[in-house]
Amino acid sequence: MTKSKIEPFVNLNVNPCKMCMPMGAVTAFYGIKECISMLHGSQGCSTYIRRHMATHYNEPVDIASSSLTEQGTVYGGEKNLINGLKNLIELYHPKVIGVATTCLAETIGEDVTRIIEKFYRENKEYQGITIIPVNSPGYGGTQYEGYFGALRTILEFVPMNCEKNNKVNVITSILSPKDTRFLKRMFQSFGIDIILLPDLSSNLDGVFKKTYDRLPSGGTSIEEIKDMAGAKLTLEFMNLELESSPGKYLEEQFGVPYRRLNLPIGLRDTDAFIKTLSQISGNEIPGEIVEERGRYLDAMIDSHKYNAEGRAVIFGEPDFVCSTVRLCVENGIIPLVSATGTTKKQMKELIEQEIKEVYERFFIKDYEIIDDVDFKKIENLTEKLDANILIGNSDGRRIEENLQIPLVRRGFPIHDRVGGQRLIMLGYEGSLSYLDDITNAICSKKETTFRDTIYQTYFENAHINNLNIEIEEKTKKHPCFNGCASNSARIHLPVAPRCNIQCNYCVRKFDCPNESRPGVTTKVLTPEEAFEKYKIVKSKIDNLNVVGIAGPGDALANFEETKETLKLIRDYDKNITFCLSTNGLMLPKYANELCDLGVSHVTVTINAVDVKIGAKIYQYVHYNGLKFEGESAAAILLANQLSGLRILVGRGVICKVNIVTLKGINDKHIPDIVKKVKDIGCYITNIMPFIKVKGSKFENLEPVSNKEVNIIRKECADIMKQMYHCVQCRADAIGTLDQDKSIEFEIDKKNNIKQDLTETYRFAVASKSGVLVDQHFGQTLEFHIYDYKDGRVIYKEIREINNYCHGEEVCEEYEDKLEKLLHIMKDCNGIIAMRIGENLKNRLHDRGMKVIVTYDRIEEAVKYAVQSM
Amino acid sequence: MNVPIQTESDSKVLEDRKKSIIFKYEDGCTGKGIRCEVDSVSGAVSQRACVYCGARVVLNPITDAFHIVHGPIGCASYTWDIRGSLSSGEDLYRNSFSTDLREKDIIFGGERKLEAALEELINKYKPKLIFVYATCIVGVIGDDIDAVCKKFSDKYQIHVIPVKSPGFSGNKSTGYRMACNAIMQVLNTYKEQPKQKGINILGDYNLAGEMWIIKNYMKQIGIPVISTFTGDSNLESMKKASSASLNVVQCAGSSTYLANQMKDAMGIPYIKVSFFGLEDTTASLIHIAEALGDEKLREKAIIYCEKKQKELESTIEQYRKKLYGKKAAIYVGGGFKAISLIRQFNTLGIHTVVVGTQTGKKEDYEIIESIVEKDTVILDDANPSELETFMKERVVDILVGGVKERPLAYKMGIAFCDHNHERKHPLAGFEGVINFMKEINDSVNNPVWNYIRQ
Repeated sequence: MTKSKIEPFVNLNVNPCKMCMPMGAVTAFYGIKECISMLHGSQGCSTYIRRHMATHYNEPVDIASSSLTEQGTVYGGEKNLINGLKNLIELYHPKVIGVATTCLAETIGEDVTRIIEKFYRENKEYQGITIIPVNSPGYGGTQYEGYFGALRTILEFVPMNCEKNNKVNVITSILSPKDTRFLKRMFQSFGIDIILLPDLSSNLDGVFKKTYDRLPSGGTSIEEIKDMAGAKLTLEFMNLELESSPGKYLEEQFGVPYRRLNLPIGLRDTDAFIKTLSQISGNEIPGEIVEERGRYLDAMIDSHKYNAEGRAVIFGEPDFVCSTVRLCVENGIIPLVSATGTTKKQMKELIEQEIKEVYERFFIKDYEIIDDVDFKKIENLTEKLDANILIGNSDGRRIEENLQIPLVRRGFPIHDRVGGQRLIMLGYEGSLSYLDDITNAICSKKETTFRDTIYQTYFENAHINNLNIEIEEKTKKHPCFNGCASNSARIHLPVAPRCNIQCNYCVRKFDCPNESRPGVTTKVLTPEEAFEKYKIVKSKIDNLNVVGIAGPGDALANFEETKETLKLIRDYDKNITFCLSTNGLMLPKYANELCDLGVSHVTVTINAVDVKIGAKIYQYVHYNGLKFEGESAAAILLANQLSGLRILVGRGVICKVNIVTLKGINDKHIPDIVKKVKDIGCYITNIMPFIKVKGSKFENLEPVSNKEVNIIRKECADIMKQMYHCVQCRADAIGTLDQDKSIEFEIDKKNNIKQDLTETYRFAVASKSGVLVDQHFGQTLEFHIYDYKDGRVIYKEIREINNYCHGEEVCEEYEDKLEKLLHIMKDCNGIIAMRIGENLKNRLHDRGMKVIVTYDRIEEAVKYAVQSM
Repeated sequence: MNVPIQTESDSKVLEDRKKSIIFKYEDGCTGKGIRCEVDSVSGAVSQRACVYCGARVVLNPITDAFHIVHGPIGCASYTWDIRGSLSSGEDLYRNSFSTDLREKDIIFGGERKLEAALEELINKYKPKLIFVYATCIVGVIGDDIDAVCKKFSDKYQIHVIPVKSPGFSGNKSTGYRMACNAIMQVLNTYKEQPKQKGINILGDYNLAGEMWIIKNYMKQIGIPVISTFTGDSNLESMKKASSASLNVVQCAGSSTYLANQMKDAMGIPYIKVSFFGLEDTTASLIHIAEALGDEKLREKAIIYCEKKQKELESTIEQYRKKLYGKKAAIYVGGGFKAISLIRQFNTLGIHTVVVGTQTGKKEDYEIIESIVEKDTVILDDANPSELETFMKERVVDILVGGVKERPLAYKMGIAFCDHNHERKHPLAGFEGVINFMKEINDSVNNPVWNYIRQ
């Protein structure tokens, strides 16, 4: 699967980090005794919310819908709502019904209060049932606002009993049932009688019983709610102060003193909580709790150094984020990103100072506190700030999957794990469980990655086996050792015409095929001419960093010329990288001298490390004035290649070994060659396809496909670094690997073309630049169509094709594509390309398509082609 | 004949719902039938979703499309990447894009927000295909998404397709049709492709790789697959669809409408198939070969299926012994799936004693009635209390259903099989036969029940 790279949008929410108001409203109603809720809207809202809650709580979640239809939407949903209430009562026998509106009901302007009044009038037998209407348009806010809005509406709706009692009202933001049970237990242990609104302790975390009760029996009863007006105090557990807080309402309307406490998560907030309980009750803190606190402190110390490596992204509801940030800060975990999908600007004020404190301790600069955010933005920041842990609900699992960062699951919803209903965060014990989960995620991430990370950083990236930093830098810039990733340009200077061996795949009138493109003849330069050319090119190409000597024969068979050239250039330019390619026969003799000349990179072509195989590849070797043939030729060559390489490697030269793949001769032997040269300490091998050259001894040898070569390369990649990008440059190549510029610097122009042809021809030209014939036939995506008429070359058009060969990939559907190509060019007399596989060339030829292989300006190439027609 | 329910459970079913529940009275089928294809009863706690849900189910597996939900946040939030459709190409479809309408957009209209979103999206990502889903309030606040989509299609020459899916405008089946209309809007641009031998597969969503499993069968038999709807599909694959010589419809509920449309517009005939269960899979593979009118393919299909069946024989027998005689309840989305499940249970010797669907059609229920045993309860658009009542009354061992039904089964101490879009293992094809039996056995013969029922 291709990973799409989507950035955050301005005008679109991408992957919501929030839910809608009705979700919050029905959650609140789940904490009311013998209550069932109904959404006034279309059927989907209740179904989606049920699915979301059922998967988190692992409980049956029944929420009715008035199932508004087209008709209800146009004429009003009164009938649906009234019938729905009747049916719901018949099925569930509730004492309380929460009716929450949805986007649709609000938009069409439903007056739910009036409809409920009508329902009571028409159904007197149901007057004992409390039906509470709540406004919760999905567009009005998130589940956070929906939840608190519903709680406040409940208090406003239920007729209150103002008679004073000794109870304490406790109002919380959404907690897990298990945390709710903890809270109740704590008040109990201090002997404080509370009214908890809502009581989420059991309805969404049921017990297994012999008989199933579809209306859960837990929750706050309406009678208890009535008494809230007479309580001695309201404690509200929420980190953010809400204007519309239910507790404030009780204070304003009924004079119940109001205190807000942060959720008891982490040390400071749990201390404050316990202290408050002690104050209210006048009781000492029980020894058990003191012990729990002590254990939590102990754990904070045990974990603190692991935690200090935590770079956290925290997301969820505002209270959750604030509490988690405080817990993290206490433990030295760095909150890099604190994010909520709810619009709550004040969250920033609340936690920024906290975060700064830990940032100053650990010299961290960047952090983000952000509200009204989506997950795409959170993902973006996670990557940008390089976090190593995510803390929040399971919707963060996509970031976990994409970025391979562990997610500590807390909050709502938890969909991809069981037990969302019993995750704990409150009190010393809850905080400890939470903190352990966080610490362990940090540890686990480290445990599973540290070996690789350290190896990459200090071994792989540092190339500690390479001796010379200077050469290492040069290797990074060398296109033939580091591929197209390198922006560097190189120049090959053709100063070495002679050769001292005969390879069976080579015809001596062309350039050496070990490094260069076969079938090309390059004009030879004297060292002085080469130096002049170098200076000209250097002045025009800024990034020219490499000078190579690659023939057209063998660099060391022409050592004097090679040496002279290099000397001239070295005197002129101290920093240029020298490289050289050779068959290796003379390497032992000249290796040290090459090093002294400053040659840092050498390529040796080794087609066999077995004399028997070598004897099949090399016809003869000229060595020390004698001509050797057969196995003795191969033995001399191999011995010299290997000992030469050892000298070079010993002196810190980076060595590449080229291997020509010869089917049936050395193709199975190649991994042996690679192993051998790896042992010697070579840097990279370049396994190349064999390309047929007419007139050579191997002219009838079956060529290998790119696919076959790539299979061998992949196999050998397990042994050592492989080169995949070799373009087999000319001996006079100039420029970067993918942009040859040698024509621009050609000294001798071709001027022997007859200009007086009168016939009309049409050609398809493979060109990348549109100026030169500079594209491999198989890799071109388009053909430039040129006409030749009355001695003039005229550009006609570009014709697009799907490229024929994908390099590393498989050339499948061979026939199909060939046919397609032929179809595209059916009106052409010939094809002109820089290179083409011999096999393909023959096939095209068989189909009557003339193929001209050249490297030239298009106009010149066309004229040349006309001549050969 | 069948009769309305008359048992002690009678009193536990809402009056409005009684006609939607029948008992198989004796062998044979009266044709009088069940009340179905009607709106849900308010307050009954239907398990159905909405039009938008249906549309999103069908379109979401199109992997390189941008799925933009025009509306307030909930609809996009609850449907973000919740289904197990897999992709061999892009993963764009795993994102949920929403215009996230707020209070002021409801007052002043959301069109401008949608236009800004499309403008930004098109400029940033040069998309090929965008679906814009209309949710409940879009029509009510007066946004004309047809016009907006057309404007952007014309301006940028790409497919910006409106999906008319306000939740209240029908049920999930309506949503399927709206999705099919949206698909047709794309296909109509490319409907004149020259015909070639090969099929389109409709109504498979590549849940847990099921489309890949089916495509592999086609490959083995030698039947080219031209295009798929919509499992692991993309715009390029959709473009080729009109060249197919046959459409093969797997999930009839969601895709028969599309098959009919394609038949009218492109002259592609279709057949319905099922790849659930050994018998159905075998019959379908042979049927496809026959429909292509190729005797050689038919022979290959027969040989292939025989080979596959042989491979499975002993495994099936091993499970059959453990499952024989169990009693099952089925509550799934559509008739197609229910029918497949009953047939699979029949071959395993499992009795289906309660069966219902959210959006089954009249003809589906006729088939269901004809293949279940006497006394089986058949329900359309059932709710949790009815499921509870009848599962208890019929003492079922296992419930096959969706995510919302699972906790109910567990609370009642009943085993459960997840046959929904969120599953992570394939249930289609020969592979699916084994997975299905394994899942049933894993749950129904689990040791926990020994302790629970003590």
